[in-house]
Amino acid sequence: MFSRLGIALIFILVLSLLTGIVGAQDSISITIRCKASPPEEDWRCNNFAEVEAEVEANLGIDIELNLIQDNAGWGDYKNEFVLASEAGEAPDIILSGHEDIGAWAPAGFIIPLDDVIGMHSEFDDIVPSLWDSHGYAGQIWGIPQDAEARPIFYSKLLLRDLGWSEEDIESLPDRVAAGEWTFADMLATAEAAVEEGIVDAGNGWWHRPSNGPDFLYYYYGHGGEVLDMEGNLVVDSEALVATYELLGGAVASGVLRSDVIGLDWNEVWHPTVAQADTVLFAAGGTWNWPNWAINYVADKGGDEFLFENIGLTLIPAMATGKAITLTHPLTYMISSGSENPDVALELIAAITTPEHNNKHAIDSFHLGILNAQLESEAYANNRLLSSAHYMLDHTTALPNHPGWNAWSNAYFLGIQAVETGEADAAGAADIAIAQMQNELGDGITVR
Amino acid sequence: MSEQAKTGDTTVPRSRGGSNALKSYLGAYGFMAPAGILVIVFFLIPVAIVLYLSLTNLASSNFTSNLAIMEFIGLKNYQTLLNDQFARKIFFNTIFYVLVTLSIFNVSLALLVSLLTTHIDRSAGFVFRALWILPRITSPVVYILIWKRMIAEAPFGIINQFNEALGQPTYNYISTNPWVFVVVVNGFIGVSFGMIIFTSAIESIPRDLLNASLVDGSSKLQRIRYVIMPLIRWPLLFVVTYQTLSLLTSFVEIQLLTDGGPGLYRTEVWSLTAYHRALSNYFGNAQWGYGSAFAVLLVMIGVVLAVIYMRVFRFDELIAEPRVEAL
Repeated sequence: MFSRLGIALIFILVLSLLTGIVGAQDSISITIRCKASPPEEDWRCNNFAEVEAEVEANLGIDIELNLIQDNAGWGDYKNEFVLASEAGEAPDIILSGHEDIGAWAPAGFIIPLDDVIGMHSEFDDIVPSLWDSHGYAGQIWGIPQDAEARPIFYSKLLLRDLGWSEEDIESLPDRVAAGEWTFADMLATAEAAVEEGIVDAGNGWWHRPSNGPDFLYYYYGHGGEVLDMEGNLVVDSEALVATYELLGGAVASGVLRSDVIGLDWNEVWHPTVAQADTVLFAAGGTWNWPNWAINYVADKGGDEFLFENIGLTLIPAMATGKAITLTHPLTYMISSGSENPDVALELIAAITTPEHNNKHAIDSFHLGILNAQLESEAYANNRLLSSAHYMLDHTTALPNHPGWNAWSNAYFLGIQAVETGEADAAGAADIAIAQMQNELGDGITVR
Repeated sequence: MSEQAKTGDTTVPRSRGGSNALKSYLGAYGFMAPAGILVIVFFLIPVAIVLYLSLTNLASSNFTSNLAIMEFIGLKNYQTLLNDQFARKIFFNTIFYVLVTLSIFNVSLALLVSLLTTHIDRSAGFVFRALWILPRITSPVVYILIWKRMIAEAPFGIINQFNEALGQPTYNYISTNPWVFVVVVNGFIGVSFGMIIFTSAIESIPRDLLNASLVDGSSKLQRIRYVIMPLIRWPLLFVVTYQTLSLLTSFVEIQLLTDGGPGLYRTEVWSLTAYHRALSNYFGNAQWGYGSAFAVLLVMIGVVLAVIYMRVFRFDELIAEPRVEAL
């Protein structure tokens, strides 16, 4: 029948096929999509490459890791995931703002993680308050990647010119946190700086030049709420008017430029604020610091120049009497189209350690997400992080709600109206509320 | 030869004529078919889909590509659009932008450049026209970055550095004069299209005709007025029509330069609103259905304008058989 050679060849062929099939089954492709500003935020994706071998060994599989990272605009980045999900080509893991849970969870593009989070002890150590911004419809939909604070940066250089002592300057964050030095004090200081010619009119205080999460803390600072107890969208008209009065008043008093919205981030805003010699107070984010050190004041000494000339503090207390900030955690979410969500979660768990998250926190000046991380030597000894970590005790967050974009866009319209003088505070509130009601209909309650 | 033909019956030529007419029709439709298919696939079908999307509440939070399971909400998006307190402002912004850019740059300046460059040394004219084409062939992002660097406030902007050097105040031009720059930036791109069409039309006028007018004693200005302008009437009307529709739908440069601002939609145009609503939102959850309603109205405006232009400018005469051929 068959020669020995023939049998041996068939045996080898069958064995090869089986080996190939088994090998193919063990090779699992995981695609991870990150948005990051290089180089300081590269660890958002690169950390996965660091743990790939470890996870492969733990699971006994071969992982083919595809890391896709760029710094695309948020709108394009989010649309890309929506379209990819519908096309069945979504990455296994998407890193995005936690507020996207409000749109992507009801759309079915991401999976709830409640049942699997408990399987990974790494997640037990996450700062409990961070989970609040990862919920929707009673379930958890993402794993925090980082945290941050959005502080007021103050120019020590200009405060010295204004006659502040070193003690006054260094104690400012503590006085703000205690509610002793309020937003009204900040505006008065800025006004004095303008009047004394230390800064030009309009350069007493700058906020961000485009729509974004920061603006919400002015509304929160006046007691405003975005969600009611049932999780429905609300708008508090009194808080809204008070917010617009604050912003419009700052323009009228010459503290804030009427055209600050629209300034180019990279061409004007960052290079101006980072020099510390033009703008007295600037509302930004902790991650701005390494960006400035690398890209705008490296020739002056980078970090050292910034420590010498710029400080950071909470947003001083407004009507509520409490200093606040806002954190906008980025979140690893697992696509519902992922064929290997367990492997994806294993990878996320592997990088949710003090060692790995510290790399991102230290390089990009984002705040830690793990309790152990806060106690780690690298984190605790970092001068920058230790000067800002307390801000997480005062933080607020965006809501996770499908109607949040309509709410926030209408709110921003009011800000534009009052700052450009196209409406007074009451008129701006009317514009914002009318816009919310037109687009959200019964989905918004005006209080 | 048929019996009828032998008898000289008049139906013979009619029969042959019918066959010829059929062939003629088939030939015409055959030649038009590729273009027709393109129009159907890339215009009519997308318009139908966008029209349907505009009748749904499609958003990122309920996104699907399955038309059958989208939630149909009738005309609610159109109702929301009409109730939008800024829709009227955005509509008139669009009219202003199209009219000003079209009249100053896309037609007038394009014509001026064409006339000037065809009245100077031929190679010099070519160089000048090549320079005017640069904005068109430059990537919009690079082009706008150049403009932003030119008009940024001191000490970053080039113009403001001159202002400072001359002891003049400096300006945030985007804030103080947004429309000037929106129109100029788009106009510089728009000039090239008309310039090419007009130049080729002027160059195709027989030289003896142009020389004859000079021999008859006309000045160069009179030659332009009484000889060249009447002979380039049709290219002129074509550029007006085409560029109107083109400007109606263009928004990339505006998005990159002002993003519709500053303030309350000061330079927002209709097509940019459709884009903002349907495709780009800082906080995500783009409103595909609502944005489609803006897009549908834009298509309707474009179609109405196209029909009006065709009637007013009598395009049927433009494409009619020359009378000398019809004799």
